[in-house]
Formats: sequence, structure tokens, C-alpha cells
Amino acid sequence: MPELTHGFKIDRDKCDGHLACMRACPTQAVRVREGKAHVLPDLCVDCGLCLTACPSGAIRAETRSFAEFDKFKYKVAVPSPVLFGQFPMAVGPGHIVAGLLGMGFDAVWDFTVELALVNRAILDYVERWEGPFPLLSVSCPVVVRLVQVLYPSMVDQLIRVQVPRELAGLEAKQKFSEQLGIPPDDIAAIYITPCQAKSISILKPAEGAKSNLEGALGISDVYNNILALTHTLQEDQVQLASNHSICSGAMLRWTINEAQGQILQRHRYMSVTGLANVIQVFDDIEKGKLRNIEYLECDACWGGCIGGNLTVDNIYVTRSKLHRLLAEVPAAAPQVQAEVERRYPATDFSLKGRVRRRTTNDGPTDLRERVRRMKVEEAVTRALPGLDCGLCGAPSCGAFAKDVARGTGQRSDCVFLREGRLRELKTTYLSRRKKPPEIGEQFGVSPPPA
Amino acid sequence: MDEELFRQTYSIHGRDFDKAGETAAHIKQILRELGLDAGLVHRAVIIAFEAEMNVVMYADEGTVTFTLTEDALKLEIADQGPGIEDIELALTEGYSTATDQMREMGFGFGMGLPNIRKNSDDFNLVSEVGKGTTVSAMIQLNSSA
Repeated sequence: MPELTHGFKIDRDKCDGHLACMRACPTQAVRVREGKAHVLPDLCVDCGLCLTACPSGAIRAETRSFAEFDKFKYKVAVPSPVLFGQFPMAVGPGHIVAGLLGMGFDAVWDFTVELALVNRAILDYVERWEGPFPLLSVSCPVVVRLVQVLYPSMVDQLIRVQVPRELAGLEAKQKFSEQLGIPPDDIAAIYITPCQAKSISILKPAEGAKSNLEGALGISDVYNNILALTHTLQEDQVQLASNHSICSGAMLRWTINEAQGQILQRHRYMSVTGLANVIQVFDDIEKGKLRNIEYLECDACWGGCIGGNLTVDNIYVTRSKLHRLLAEVPAAAPQVQAEVERRYPATDFSLKGRVRRRTTNDGPTDLRERVRRMKVEEAVTRALPGLDCGLCGAPSCGAFAKDVARGTGQRSDCVFLREGRLRELKTTYLSRRKKPPEIGEQFGVSPPPA
Repeated sequence: MDEELFRQTYSIHGRDFDKAGETAAHIKQILRELGLDAGLVHRAVIIAFEAEMNVVMYADEGTVTFTLTEDALKLEIADQGPGIEDIELALTEGYSTATDQMREMGFGFGMGLPNIRKNSDDFNLVSEVGKGTTVSAMIQLNSSA
């Protein structure tokens, strides 16, 4: 199996082994050994909760710099609609587009048309689908990976309709290639992303194909640049930029939660946000519930993409701004509808590969061995206290028992099974500390008499 | 090889609709953990679920015994229930003795036993009126039947 690429790096020097990342991880993909965290790549779904949880700042998202795209002759920014809700109200869509151009992008792509195309394709797909329901949206890469890892029986329910950003990348390159007379390979379509997960999904799509986008920059990577530039912009530049890009209401609406509900009005549609909630709903689906829901839109981030880990403003402020913006910009321009009509029949919406369950490397093929492991796991579980204290370096007693059965963990790592373990932990953790002041010293009281 | 690799017995209580389906869910979890083929797991779960429901609907007490060898997965469901008078009839699709109340809950469409038979590679039913019923179902692990 080719090595999975993940978007997060743990800096071993900075890691204090706090266990916060291990406890935050929804797929139990983190282990802490000798006071340092590491990731089991097969289980990681790129959600980024570890990054948010780490108190030492040891986990960082790997991002690209704008300079890396310099080898391309023409650079097109494909901004997530979320970007437009990040700035102070005085900085409108025109300023933002002008800011991106000022940063060095040659063009900014408004993907209103692609959003409308995908919406229609989803509606068609739902209406033709004869397999098991609910169909699941693929727009959030974390959700797609979660299904691959934890809900393999549901992979065929992931809707096989390409996401708007990918269609936008393809269309942008085709259009500018024709317009400028240069080969598409000389053009970079760069997504301005609200989260690390989408950036990984561009580098390493779940369906195993090649993305139509050349890479991504985080909203937080371009934010300061744009803000600084907006102060120096001349009014005519802003005007020019506004003409350059039609920022329509339809595009902004997409970012506000339950966007697809409007398109699927006649169908049983449900929206779930927040990874813990998604997991709860997926558990129910696995038990055979929710079969009457036809389309399930899931976002790993609470509140949807405006809650992405590379956004700048908080989601409530962003949502409020987007609502105000919506009132100011035109809804869909008539030329958008015409463009959708023209392109829909000729557009290939299919994913370029099949999303499959992610095979983990640990399983022996021999049934006898697998049964043996399961029995070991049961026996270890019975010997454990079930407190999920995490001192063994695994997130739960259950995960620890699995590790022992698999041979990647040792019984002796549990403080309940071996008292010496606690002494070792003290050495590992307390030796890292600077000597704490005596309690008496700190509070100005004298120590109790001996 | 017929050597038993794994065996687990579950007891089922009649009329306990609240807990009905838990045994099947547990068996599903074990089979998935063991990495068995998804189609095979699906068949085994249908058998376990239908049999479990039969016990819940008609009997007072029963057991589901699940065993695994290298070649086969076996489920034996034994109950102390009313027994079945006409086995051939009971195996006919659509034939049911379910009460209206059971039907309201979404059961009793006469598909239970036929479904069990359909999903088994080997099926056996022994019943004595007034004593109880034992259903044995086997799925071969290496066949894709």
C-alpha cells in the first residue's frame, strides 16, 4: 500500500506528551510512547482535532507557501466562499478579489456555476439512486476518510458526484489555457481553503486519482496579505476586480449550513455538523436506522466549513457577515443559469476513482490467528480497570487491549498491571519540569512541623 | 478442519422487544472484528436477527449459540417455546402466526424462517409441539454461495 500522506506533523522536540491529542482523536489514531505522541497513519482521518487540542503547540498543519507555485506561468486562485465572510464589513468581495490579485494571483475564479452544476448533479443522482440510503455527501474530506476507516460498509453510499472545487479547477485551467494559448500544465489552480483537510484531499484524493487543483493555501495564509493590500487599493482597482469576478449570492449561500437542503427540498435531507455528531449518526446508520433519509450532508467541523481550522474569524461572526453580504450582492446572475444549462449535459461529474475502504496493515490473513488475537484482547480487557486513564499511552482500555493483542502494546504499560510503570512515568514526565517551588515558599506559609 | 475456534452462547428472553436485536448486533461486531467478508457477515446477521426475533416473539426463553471453525460459521438457536406443528408450512414465505400486535411492530410477515434458510448453506429445523424448536444454520467460510 502506498504510504498515506497526512497534513499534520508532530514536532517531537516540542511535544510534552500531554495526552490531549490522544484524547481528542475521534479514530483513536494517536499513541504516546516514552512521553512523545505519534500517529497511526492508517487510522488518521485528517480532522485536525489533535492540532487544536495540543497545549504545547507541537502539532502543526503543513502548509504551502505561495512561492512554491512560482514555477507556473499563470496562477488562478479558487477561493472557498468562506473567505468572503472573514474580513471586516468594509472589506467587500471586490477588495478581497483585488487583494488576491495584488498578492500575485493572475486571476480569481468564482465558482458559482460549478456549485450550481454540482447541486443539479446531486439532485439527479439522488433521484436515480436505487441502492441503500442515505447517500452521503463527499464535500468534507474528513467525513469521506472517516467512512473509509470506521464505516467501511458504507463506502458505496458516498455519493459519486465530484465536488465543486475540483470542477472549478478543471474549468479554470481549460478556459485560461484557451484564452492565453498556453498549455494547461503551465496553469496552477490554487484553492484557498478553510481547512487543512481539503488541502490534503487535493494532494491525496480519497478516490486515489489526481486532483484538478495544484494545491491549496489556507485562508489564514492569505488573510494578512489581503488585509494589508486593501488599504493601498485604489477605488478603480476594486471596481476592476469586482468586474473580474461575479461574487454571487448563490456562492455565498453554499457556505451557510444546510445549503443543499434548498436544492433537495422534495427529498428527505438531513444535515449534521461536528465530528462527534457525525459519528453518532453514522453509528445509527450502521444499526440500520435512518434508511428513510435520502441525502445526508455531513461536515466534520461544527457549523460547517466556516468552522474550518484555517479560518480566521469565529463562526458566529462569519455567519453574521455572510448573511449581511447576501443581502447586498445580487442573487444568481442570469448568465449563471444560462451557463449551467450549457455546461450541464457535457460535464463529467463522476469521481475519477472509486472510494474504497481503507485497509489497515495489521490484520493477519489466518482466521485462527485472528480469533487468537480477539481472545487475547478479551482477556486483557477483563484485567483492565476500564477507567480510560490513558497512562499506558493508548486512548482507552479498549484500544490498549487491541494494541496488546496486535503486539504493538505491552501489558506492562498499564499502571494497574505493573506498579513500576508509574515510577517510569514520573521519571519521564517530572524530570522534564523545572523544579517547582515548594508549596510553602510559593504561598508564604511555613512548612508543617515534621 | 472441524476444530472449534470460537464459541459464544447468548440467552434470549421472550417478549423482550426492547433488547431484541442485541445478540445479532454483537455477533456482527465479532465477525467484523475478525475481518470476515462483508457479504458473509450480512448473511450471518440476517440469520441471527430473524432467529432472535422468533424467540422473542414466540418463546419464553432461548439461546443462540455461535461457533466458528476454520471452514464454517454455525448458529444454533434453541428455545423452549410452543413448537411448530407443520414445519413445511412454517417454511413457506409469507406464512405467519404472528399476532396483530407483532405486525404493528413491524414483524411477523412470514419471512423469518424462509430468510434463515435462504441465507444458510446448510439448514436444519427440529421441533416438538409443546417443548420447543431448534434451528441450526451453517455458512461456509470459503464459498461465495
